[in-house]
Amino acid sequence: MTKTMNYYPGCSSQGSGIHLDTSLKAVMGKFGISFREIEDWNCCGASVGHICQGHLPVAALSARNLAAAAAAGPEDVVSPCAACYLNTHHTNEEIRNNPEMKAEINEALGAVGKSYDGSLKVRHVCEVLVKDVGVEALKSKVTKPLTGLKVAGWVGCQTVRPFANTEAGGQWETYDEPSFLDDFINASGATAVPFKAKTKCCGGSVAVMSPDKTLELIKDILDEVKASGAQVVATPCPLCLTNMEMYQPEINKRYGTDFNFPVVFYSQLLALAFGMDAHKDAGLHQGLIPADVVVAAAK
Amino acid sequence: MSTYDLNFARWVYENVDGGDKMALCMQCGTCSGSCPLGAQMDYGPRKLFMMVRAGLKDKVLESNTLWNCVSCYNCVVRCPRQVPVKYVLHSLGTAAVRAGIPAATKSDNARFARAFWWSASKLGRTDERIVTALFYFSYGLSKGFKMAMANLPVALGLVKTKRMHIGAPYMCKNKGELKTILAKAAEIEARHAK
Ligand code: SF4
Ligand code: SF4
Repeated sequence: MTKTMNYYPGCSSQGSGIHLDTSLKAVMGKFGISFREIEDWNCCGASVGHICQGHLPVAALSARNLAAAAAAGPEDVVSPCAACYLNTHHTNEEIRNNPEMKAEINEALGAVGKSYDGSLKVRHVCEVLVKDVGVEALKSKVTKPLTGLKVAGWVGCQTVRPFANTEAGGQWETYDEPSFLDDFINASGATAVPFKAKTKCCGGSVAVMSPDKTLELIKDILDEVKASGAQVVATPCPLCLTNMEMYQPEINKRYGTDFNFPVVFYSQLLALAFGMDAHKDAGLHQGLIPADVVVAAAK
Repeated sequence: MSTYDLNFARWVYENVDGGDKMALCMQCGTCSGSCPLGAQMDYGPRKLFMMVRAGLKDKVLESNTLWNCVSCYNCVVRCPRQVPVKYVLHSLGTAAVRAGIPAATKSDNARFARAFWWSASKLGRTDERIVTALFYFSYGLSKGFKMAMANLPVALGLVKTKRMHIGAPYMCKNKGELKTILAKAAEIEARHAK
């Protein structure tokens, strides 16, 4: 079975989240799913774009991507990034449900002779893994289980909030007790430990601009990682990953802690467990905090 | 001293994203209680919404509440009245920036947003190097330099792990098309603001 999907990788796929893109494509290839990148895609505006611009210019960013995706084919649009997914899905729903927004967005697209009618479905990659691939299928591809590796599954916010439990969002998860990430971790042969900060927020882009406001949020999450007995943290979100990696030294300095937890994407665990190359396919050499303990677990 | 502007509530209900729904707020406090930054806000969302109703325009637009939202969407999924709290706060932030309130235009968030928008709209992509550099140096040379130095170990770590490239930024091919779409969108947005 082969299946093509419209793929929106987002800006982090060329920067700090590059190893999500690499490992995810490796994983999806095992299930005959190929990603067709949206032609000449642009940034989604993340969670700060509108502060100085207002709503419509930010919606127009997503609309240009959606118009390009629709021109390439009617397949679902998938994104691996929480913010990209959220913005693209949100704009898509506005175009579907709000005739005034639809008209205004199309007026903006019309300036370059383009249009978009809301016909596509926008999905998070994790929903595709849960529903179209399935956890049992994930398990069936494992050749080198990560036996004994204890992992804290940290979902963060925007992968599940605010859409995972809505009809348009596919009703695939709950907001407070999502299980998909633990299912992915366990499928890899590793053990998802009970972890209390599963859907706690890292501070998002505010953590990048004003760390003084948010270091405590990340510290609280790290306290729970420690209490859980996990050796490593796994997340689906590129911003969660980089925030948690880069602020551990500063948190240690301020709070007298000794955190040094590697943070990886769920897709890196899966690619490794599927017997693929730890570096070339899983990108496990790309952590700011080395993830040797993960690589060593694959047997 | 704060002035009471009794048209303010109506203006917010009609012009702020989600403002129409905000009129349904029943002051239960679920939003403030589930907000991870609640303790650092001048007023939690519940109280802020009460102040909108009371017409405390200046206090609302000057409050740091608008800049302490980290977009975690706890409030959005929990509000029993389906008030899109996060969107309301961010849109009030936009209103404060447009009104030229110094606490707003000089906020970290507005500086970051301007840096971010430069990259997103001019290049079509977020270049993490350019956004952070523009943001740091928006505080002036010496503070910017200090901020950049403090962040240097992280930047070097990202370069070493091939998560930050060296050389020209990644860009959209058709930057002209993006520019035209965004200019038109800004024009329509301005039509609303009138
Ligand atoms: S949760 Fe909703 S109804 Fe309750 S105070 Fe907040 S906005 Fe109002
Ligand atoms: S989205 Fe913003 S206001 Fe709402 S709970 Fe999260 S940080 Fe607080």
